[in-house]
Amino acid sequence: MLKNYLKVALKVLARRKFFTFISLFGISITLLVLMVVTAIFDHSLAPHAPETRSDRTLGVYFMEMKGPETTWSSEAGYDFLNRYVRPMAALSGVERIALASTAGPVLSYPGGRKIESDLMHTDGEFWRLLDFRFLEGGPFTGEDEKNANFVAVISESTRERFFGGKPALGKTIEADGQRFRIVGVVPDVPILRFSSAADLWVPISTSKSSNYRQQWMGGFRALILARSRADFPAIKTEFQSRLREAEHHLPDPKNYKSLKGHADTLFEAISRLAFPGDTIDLRPEKVRAALLLLMLLFMLLPTLNLVNINLSRILDRSSEIGVRKAFGASSRTLVGQFVIENLVLTLIGAAVSLVLSALVLQALNASGLIAHARLALNFRIFLYGLAIALFFGVLSGVYPAWRMSKLHPVQALRGRSV
Amino acid sequence: MTRHLFKLVWNRKRTNALIILEIFFSFLVVFLVSTLGIFVWDNYRRPLGFSYQNVWRISVDAKRSSDDDPTGLAEQVKVFARLLGEVRKLGPVESAAGALVSPYDQGGMGGNWQIDGKQVKMELDIVDESFADVLGLRLVAGRWFQPSDNALTSDPVVIDQDLARTVYGERNPIGQQFGKPSEGERPDRVVGVVSDFRKSGELAPQSNFMFRFMRLDPPSPPLARYILIKVRPGTPAAFEEELTRLLQGVAPEWSFGIKPLTQVRASTFRLLLAPLVAGSVVAFFLLLMVGLGLIGVLWQNLIQRTRELGLRRAAGASRTAVHKQVFFEQVILTSLGVLLAAVLVAQLPILNLIAFIPPAVYLGGFVVSMTAIYLLATVCALYPSAMAARVQPAEALRYE
Repeated sequence: MLKNYLKVALKVLARRKFFTFISLFGISITLLVLMVVTAIFDHSLAPHAPETRSDRTLGVYFMEMKGPETTWSSEAGYDFLNRYVRPMAALSGVERIALASTAGPVLSYPGGRKIESDLMHTDGEFWRLLDFRFLEGGPFTGEDEKNANFVAVISESTRERFFGGKPALGKTIEADGQRFRIVGVVPDVPILRFSSAADLWVPISTSKSSNYRQQWMGGFRALILARSRADFPAIKTEFQSRLREAEHHLPDPKNYKSLKGHADTLFEAISRLAFPGDTIDLRPEKVRAALLLLMLLFMLLPTLNLVNINLSRILDRSSEIGVRKAFGASSRTLVGQFVIENLVLTLIGAAVSLVLSALVLQALNASGLIAHARLALNFRIFLYGLAIALFFGVLSGVYPAWRMSKLHPVQALRGRSV
Repeated sequence: MTRHLFKLVWNRKRTNALIILEIFFSFLVVFLVSTLGIFVWDNYRRPLGFSYQNVWRISVDAKRSSDDDPTGLAEQVKVFARLLGEVRKLGPVESAAGALVSPYDQGGMGGNWQIDGKQVKMELDIVDESFADVLGLRLVAGRWFQPSDNALTSDPVVIDQDLARTVYGERNPIGQQFGKPSEGERPDRVVGVVSDFRKSGELAPQSNFMFRFMRLDPPSPPLARYILIKVRPGTPAAFEEELTRLLQGVAPEWSFGIKPLTQVRASTFRLLLAPLVAGSVVAFFLLLMVGLGLIGVLWQNLIQRTRELGLRRAAGASRTAVHKQVFFEQVILTSLGVLLAAVLVAQLPILNLIAFIPPAVYLGGFVVSMTAIYLLATVCALYPSAMAARVQPAEALRYE
């Protein structure tokens, strides 16, 4: 039966080439846009090197200190993280905890040329929590951090810019007026991975000023690697209770009374960035709903377009429908047949859009619009794309199919319109 | 004739409703993109109020956790003043100024002030006496800050023309008190008016702007984050290195970044225009899709109506008359869709939902999208209606 439907579907598509073309055009463009967006999301959220364990990592990124008159929201500060988050490594559900600064621009002038790079200060655990592949050398260690050794891990493109791509191990690099000895080279990290992306990683203790040791707010984050996702709730609860504890020891109790923050998954953290207004109190479910709504809104016009085209197509086939009905096909069968036909069309469109989106992603990578992006299709995106395509196919096929099934056989045989 | 056309449209209401809905959403898509585009263009062509050529921005990071944190502040302000002094001594530097916010910064300072019972929204910057010189601000009335302002018992402020109009109307603002001072603070007094200043750059909407005076002697918070320098034309980029070494020498614990303002401007443009360009590309393809779809649907509809049209021809209607009928049916459908969208879109300026977009911009967006949609619909109707007009009466009547 299904084979028959497919045969008919393909025959119909081949018969009205112009209609097939415009339907396919609409479907492919729609799915193309959605696939590209999905790929960008996947690139920033899904586990990719070096954040291969991002699915069981929580992060403390943003904090809010509040007093009767002032609200101060920013990234977390080193002192707070060091006192209240780092000790959480002792919990049974926590595998390890790393502290790192946000990446910031620094200047270098090797041989009179100017090079701007993003520098990140990290501890030794950072290199064990994340999964960097080393092209040369290896990471710096907790020992380096403790002794404030001026050592650095650099990215591949940094090596390219400073040393013309020649081996850099053991050489020194100047940044922001400080000299570091290079101990490792890693592949570039796309800028979208904001908990690991930088051009240059150095120990926290080599910071120019030691002010960070007293700061509760600003410039730092903690990454918490759980043993499994099942440990997330316990870790989150524990973090909140430590926040309550910390509130009793605020550094400026005169101006600030309360402290808010979250141990977030990557998606939750990025959701907070998406709505800068209510960063701290945002509920990620709201963002998920908003994203879904946006997708539906975007699909609305293409769906209407396809519904219109499909409606015209069925009218074209009213005599065929009349015959089928006259020979006893039920409305249900006809609806099924037509929805399947539409799904076949959508899937062909999906295949076209898969090829197109591979091209668009490559162009995006080459354009350098997103630094170091290596946007690519993978199986996960393919599955998402397939789901979106099926959804779109059913959405745009059901109404025309229902209209078709309502056709009265006699009228249909006479070729009358609906 | 018109009534008759409406009747024809009504008779096929189910099919037509979907077409109208499609036109409605297409209109909304075009409206969104064109309004944003016009908004940005309208901003772009207004005077900027400062000149960014040959200005370099030095960002100064004193490793403070917040602007409000008083620890070590006095010392840091002194270091900042020393930096400023050293930079001014360099040969290629024509002038140098301290500022809390730099032009083209996307964030900044600002808020709502209560002035003479009026709620006034404005942005502000805290700058020193050289700022006007470095950025080539044009003074309209009064004077700019001067070093002797350090000794004033009131806080001198310079406002831009927008703000002067909003707060003082036609009155002369010079010498007037600006708002009410809070407890234990010095009153603000207007000393000068500059032409409209648009800190966020060409693409941002106009806004009220106020400058406060940065007191370096005796030092007072907050600490400036930027040194803006005007360099002599043709200063090579290599001078940056010399400058950086000098800064690092004076304040080894601090970090510095140097960028010509032209570069900051370019990246601001990229940041703001990239989404607009991406949106336009997507909108273009959506429209193309809708256009092709419409051609298909109209064509198919006309094939269905061959007999009806043939009958009209047989009854003596001319080819032009049939052509006209089909064409105007399409115009009616389009108009209904546009009308629906217009009612919805009109709520934006009426309810003033997005305060910073002026009604004229909405009007521009409306005109553009209306033109685009009518053009799209009529172009799509041209071919099918020409085809319909070619129907031979005999052929049509025979059609089964």
